[in-house]
Amino acid sequence: MSITRRGLIRGDVAAVTPGVAVGALNNRFAWAQAADFDSDVDVLNYALTLEYLEAEFYRQGNSAGLVSGKEQQYLAAVQADEDSHVATIMQTVKQIGGEPVAMPSVDFGGAFASRQAYLETSHTFENVGVQAYLGAAGFIKDKAILQAAAGIFGVEARHAAIVGNLLGLSAEDGVYMGATETPLTKTEVLAAVEPFLAGAGAMGDDAAVTL
Amino acid sequence: MTNMDRDEIFDGKPVIAFRGEHDRRSFLRTAVLVGVGAGFVGYQAGDPTAGRGSAWAGNLAQASPAGDLDILNYALTLEYLEAEFYTRGVAGGVLSGRELELVTPIRDHEQAHVAALTSTITDLGGDPVAKPKFAFPQGTFTSRDKFLTTASTFEELGVKAYHGQVPLVDSTDILAAAAAIAGVESRHAAILADLTGGNPFPSPIEANLSMKAVLKAAQPFIAN
Repeated sequence: MSITRRGLIRGDVAAVTPGVAVGALNNRFAWAQAADFDSDVDVLNYALTLEYLEAEFYRQGNSAGLVSGKEQQYLAAVQADEDSHVATIMQTVKQIGGEPVAMPSVDFGGAFASRQAYLETSHTFENVGVQAYLGAAGFIKDKAILQAAAGIFGVEARHAAIVGNLLGLSAEDGVYMGATETPLTKTEVLAAVEPFLAGAGAMGDDAAVTL
Repeated sequence: MTNMDRDEIFDGKPVIAFRGEHDRRSFLRTAVLVGVGAGFVGYQAGDPTAGRGSAWAGNLAQASPAGDLDILNYALTLEYLEAEFYTRGVAGGVLSGRELELVTPIRDHEQAHVAALTSTITDLGGDPVAKPKFAFPQGTFTSRDKFLTTASTFEELGVKAYHGQVPLVDSTDILAAAAAIAGVESRHAAILADLTGGNPFPSPIEANLSMKAVLKAAQPFIAN
């Protein structure tokens, strides 16, 4: 159960144990709060904010010269995926008549002090991303958008597993997070990523993700 | 990841024998319906909205008679196959060290998925498909390379099968349950690609199966 979320994230993420969703399968699912999202644009802008964070995280991290060889290749691929997610979601928001939120100011603190810090922060980000998509998916009304969001969710899970493996974490509760993924509510996700958002009001007044 | 060997699971041999004709027909019917819906979305990675529009909605309506219970039974059949595959593979003793540590939980996950889907179907008043009989080709579990390469192909197909079903599921709760499983299959797929020298990140958005691909993947498993 030694998940390396410590120190990097000051939220209650770790309080959600990986086994929870198994029991939830036969009950009502732990979707985000009913009032969290009003529209598909809201959900997409929430996802866009997280993708901005991830894309910028890997842009900075991959420029820091912390990794090499296969790790470098993998993290370059992850960065390309996150860039693609940003572009895809922005385009989708515009196509359905919405206004994409602006990129927040970010500060990753000591995340690039070492290879270990970089990968641990990456692992946290990816797992929070997985949980955020799962928690928000139920609010998406358009089936094509839902399928795309599910497709992004799956790729974040791939990233999380591979980075967990690069860190040499235990297979269960490290590379994998149980037999099913566990959703997080918007409040939980925002608490987790808030330390990386620089300055008050960074999320913008009109964002779906204001605290 | 696109070479022919990886596309042909179990050497193209049938490995599933359903307990009854009803189960077999139900599985194939759902495979066709899911395939139709997924194929019609037809978006390229990076363009999630290309399949949207009135034609899409019309096709979705046609595809929906598959029903959530049929889709769950379709998923259950594939999970039975995966659970049996990993149970035998892990027991085969061809893995050790970190590889064994990484693959053993996959077996446990697939077994948990079988249990979860079975009880979900039962709770919804449905009739879970009986566990089919499986006949894996000789040599599937006696070589590390063969076992892991087959597993890798298998997981990539499983991921695509789940993602093909997403727009066809009516119930939000069932969708959540299926998505929670699908994410884990993505983790499996990535790790197995890594172990076999494949690409853990083949696309920025998970692909889903076209009708042709679903049938190509499903029919070889079905014994007559």
